[in-house]
Amino acid sequence: MNEPGITDNEPTVTEKVRELIAENEILLFMKGTPEAPQCGFSMRVVGILDQLDTDYAALDVLPALDPLREATGEIADWRTFPQLYVKGNLVGGCDIVEEMYASGDLAGLLGVEAPPPDPDSPAPGAMPPASSGPIQIEE
Amino acid sequence: MAADLAELQSMIEDALPGASVEVLDEGGGDHLRAVVAAPQFDGLTTIDQHRLVRAAVQPRMDDGTIHALSITTSLPAAG
Repeated sequence: MNEPGITDNEPTVTEKVRELIAENEILLFMKGTPEAPQCGFSMRVVGILDQLDTDYAALDVLPALDPLREATGEIADWRTFPQLYVKGNLVGGCDIVEEMYASGDLAGLLGVEAPPPDPDSPAPGAMPPASSGPIQIEE
Repeated sequence: MAADLAELQSMIEDALPGASVEVLDEGGGDHLRAVVAAPQFDGLTTIDQHRLVRAAVQPRMDDGTIHALSITTSLPAAG
């Protein structure tokens, strides 16, 4: 598994990330937590998932940002966060999630009812009461 | 270091022959938006469409010329 030039902890992080993606039907890699996003893009995706009233798991990438960039780069060829995975596949980051939310495709993918059209952006302060607690990966 | 928008446009056009490409500076010369309509996108998920565009300009991401690239993709208009 080890490749030259890759630090020792990376295969472990990559394996953990693969497991998380497999185990959680809807998984959001984000900066911060759903309750306290630390990045505007992450906040927007949380807001959309809240609007869709869907259960999801959230992983705060900030404690291990570089190893997680490497892991998701290896797994999904994508290194920026947020990243939303549904049923094992990367859907996209903030702009794709927003585009698919607007078109109704995201609701279809998640198997939920699309909410009535709302011209305003989702309320950033909205809490996701049904979501799981944050998952932590420590370096 | 401002990105060369014309160079980025031709990098995407070379990677996706027949595509209609527009590259816009959204601030500071390193936050860019690429608006791309390409026949190659047919049947692909949005993320795969974005991967194609990003791959075309990856050398300019790697060398730091581009800090952030927003991507908007679509199929070419019919007709």
